[in-house]
Amino acid sequence: MPKTRNDILQGTLDLLVLRTLDASGPMHGYAITAHIGRVSSDLLRVEEGSLYPALHRMEQEGWLRATWGVTEKNREARFYEITAKGRKQLESERESWSRLTEGVGRVLRYA
Amino acid sequence: MSWHHRLRNLFRSDRLIRDIEREVEFHIAERAEALRVQGMPEDEALRQARLRFGNRTVVREQMRDADIVTWADSFAGDVRYVLRALRRAPAFAVVAVASLALGIGANTAIYSLIDAVVLRPLPVNDPHELVQLAMGEKDQGYFTNPLWEQVRDNQSGFTAIAAFGETTFNTAGGQKQSIGGSWVSGDYFTMFGVQPVLGRLFGRADDVRGCSGTAVLGNGYWHAEYGSRTDVVGRTISLEGKPFQIVGVAPAGFRGAEIGGDPQVYVPLCSEAVISGSLSALDRRSNWWLRVIGRRQSDLSLQQVKSRLAAISPEVMQATLPPRWSEDNKREYLTRTITARPGEGGVSALRKRYTTALATLMGGVGVVLLIACANVANLLMARAAAREREMAVRLAIGAGRRRLVRQLMTESGLLALCGAVVGLFVARWGTQGLVALISTSTDPVTLDLALSRHVLGFTALVAILTAMVFGLVPAWRATRVSPQAAMKPTSRGVAEGHSRFTIGKTLVVIQVALSLTLLVGAGLLFGSLRNLVTLDPGFQPRGILVTGVNLRRTGIPAERYPAAHREILEQLRAIPGVRSASTSQITPIGHSTWNDMLLVDGFHASSQADAVVWFNSVSEGYFATLGTKLLAGRDFDHTDVPRGAKSAIITEELARKFFGSVAPLGRQFRTKAGDGLSEPLTVVGVVQNAKYESLRETSSPTVYLAATQDTVPGAFVALELRAAGEPQSLVPSLKRVFAATYPAATLEFRVLDEQISESLRRERLLAVLSGLFGAVAVLLSMLGLYGVMAYSVARRRNEIGVRIALGADRMRVLRMVLGDVARVVAIGLALGVAGALVSGRLVATFLFGVAPADPTVLTVSAAGLSLVALAAGLIPALRASRMDPAETLREE
Repeated sequence: MPKTRNDILQGTLDLLVLRTLDASGPMHGYAITAHIGRVSSDLLRVEEGSLYPALHRMEQEGWLRATWGVTEKNREARFYEITAKGRKQLESERESWSRLTEGVGRVLRYA
Repeated sequence: MSWHHRLRNLFRSDRLIRDIEREVEFHIAERAEALRVQGMPEDEALRQARLRFGNRTVVREQMRDADIVTWADSFAGDVRYVLRALRRAPAFAVVAVASLALGIGANTAIYSLIDAVVLRPLPVNDPHELVQLAMGEKDQGYFTNPLWEQVRDNQSGFTAIAAFGETTFNTAGGQKQSIGGSWVSGDYFTMFGVQPVLGRLFGRADDVRGCSGTAVLGNGYWHAEYGSRTDVVGRTISLEGKPFQIVGVAPAGFRGAEIGGDPQVYVPLCSEAVISGSLSALDRRSNWWLRVIGRRQSDLSLQQVKSRLAAISPEVMQATLPPRWSEDNKREYLTRTITARPGEGGVSALRKRYTTALATLMGGVGVVLLIACANVANLLMARAAAREREMAVRLAIGAGRRRLVRQLMTESGLLALCGAVVGLFVARWGTQGLVALISTSTDPVTLDLALSRHVLGFTALVAILTAMVFGLVPAWRATRVSPQAAMKPTSRGVAEGHSRFTIGKTLVVIQVALSLTLLVGAGLLFGSLRNLVTLDPGFQPRGILVTGVNLRRTGIPAERYPAAHREILEQLRAIPGVRSASTSQITPIGHSTWNDMLLVDGFHASSQADAVVWFNSVSEGYFATLGTKLLAGRDFDHTDVPRGAKSAIITEELARKFFGSVAPLGRQFRTKAGDGLSEPLTVVGVVQNAKYESLRETSSPTVYLAATQDTVPGAFVALELRAAGEPQSLVPSLKRVFAATYPAATLEFRVLDEQISESLRRERLLAVLSGLFGAVAVLLSMLGLYGVMAYSVARRRNEIGVRIALGADRMRVLRMVLGDVARVVAIGLALGVAGALVSGRLVATFLFGVAPADPTVLTVSAAGLSLVALAAGLIPALRASRMDPAETLREE
């Protein structure tokens, strides 16, 4: 598979997924991919193969809740929803992300 | 895709698979639809969607691994898969589980003994607060009663302190029925914090001078003798013919402070006077029969307790100074300091005797387990080679290597688990056997061998460790195959056999080395036992019945005891079937001894101990009955009258050492009597050396005094009867004689042969067990060797077939395979010799008459092992030489 340059930075996938679910409510996996692509104007592309293991892991951590439901096109899909614990996690990830970008930005500017 | 389906069904639960599958299908369908909307043809869109998703198998594996529930589920799947695989290879499963069960079981058995004897604290409240008092670090910790009373009244730093003494009580008239008993001070039960199951336990008020007899029953005795009846309180029990009132019953699980003992009845210290009367030890200042355990205040360290004890020592020693000791001994007595050591494990003679032996055995079983592990590892590797293709296929279709390792480890874990479960049964049976080996009728050993958490934990740990040891390397190697291997039509090449094998052979080398180590250890211990059994003890024990007679309860006055003893002796000599008979105070290799200092003009002892020799008091005919040769002079006879000149017979060794002559007849010597000296004793005879206390002793200088000239005749006497037939057959006639003359006398019968054999039980335990371990080790190693060679031959079928086809004769093939065996065994033996030298040094303390590096034992062990190895290697070698080349090549 060709390596794309806009692969999501390791460790930020959780942040993106949590933020997406927090903002837009329950979604299935494909919708999450599509949402991230759309909102980032296709700058970010979720590696589809790594999304599902990540979703399952986050579900296991208790950050997400998953239920089977039906899409508007009447297909069965697994919908993910953020939990209270997930929101807390989102906060802390968001914070560490802003620290990271600020730090990297400073280095780029002044170093 | 049939493989794929099969595998999937094998190790996953269907529901979870379906869910994950559905989720992935949904995603791909959505993607494909999106692409189609963008104008891509339908089948191309689907292909692109799949491509973008990546390796579905890997994703699915990761999703599943992310989920703990699934993990557990896939674990169950692994277990099911492994069980199915094992069912297809029952021989492998049985051999592996049996090897492990033996190894783990033996380890558990020895460990549970060590746990019971050495490690486990007493089953009482806060055992870590208990300390045992002693006179110095190396001291055995015995106290006199006056000393104990002084310590009790002067100590500080203890919340409670108690003394106890082990004893046996006769509960019947006629033939002795002894039960284990314990003298205990008033605070004994309170200090341990144990509660009665019935009635009450003792308090301080029960242990005051002049008390009447009261008793607390041990739980086991209450159960066995009284059927756990609740109306025992208030009844009386007869101990040594004196009535004792039962006040309560001790709880189950409490077996006193002596590990290995199990007092059936506890009586207060003060009641010693009830039984012994005027001979009571309560005021004796040189009767060391009590041990002292205290519970220290929780805010004091052991060190602080020690210094407090040291502070009261001078005063305590001064107050208890034995008045009749010599000035030298008195000075030494006053310098003694009471100290303390951790007492949480109680006290134990058993522990003293067996700790090193058990540690040695633990090392031995550890080695057996290692050998068993090597065996199972070898089996697993041979099996892995056969499953190479299966592994390759699974790797090729996307299973992770970790995943496969995990599955193989599940197999190892399951084997270890089965081994441990079966091993627990082996251990249960084994420990009972072990206790039976060290327990005798006169010295019973009672241990709490219930499976404790400790022991189960140990077994679990051992099982996990073994699974790691034997499972990890084979699992790692097995999954190292390349996925391409699955594609090859047949992966068997002509010369492939060699490389894969080195590790298998290395394991066999280790097994052989370890086996030799164990065999040599066992050989040395067996040699020692044989030396002890066959040595000439200076008398002939076979055919002798020893009868202990105590006249105290007959009511005859003490001054008539000697006459009564003589009268009994005459009556017994008249019994048909008694060839000869005699009396003595001490029987050889028994439990009691008598020693004293010897003073001879012209002999200067290098130390006080150098002048101490054994004593015995015997009747005429003693040496003839025992079969000890009289070398010079005469036996005791009618001329040795009570008021005449005192006669003595000495051993040859004593004659040489003290008199510098082989037959110092007519020479005189004295012994100590109180502070002064005894009357002079004249040597009238010299006998050959005879073992006195133990067969192991290297020197046993003994003085025999004439029983007729005893200055303080006791109620007890031992009668030796040499029987014409079986010694036991005399018992009924003896009982008849006593019933007619002294019906109240207490009798105890022992066969001298058995008494001596019992004294060797530690040696026997070590020899039997190490021999057993050695045999198991050799068996396992030879199974390993056979397996490796058979497998090697199977893998080299083509090569051997080609060789034979090209004209190699069969002898040559045979030699080739046996050469392989010889190399493996030779390296193993070389390493084993080094191991054997170490094991020889480890068992050195138990050896008797054998050097730790005995060349004979080493040679015989190595030769025996080589021979067995040759036999194990011969079967595959013969099979190789009989191969039909046409057939093997056709298979290809």
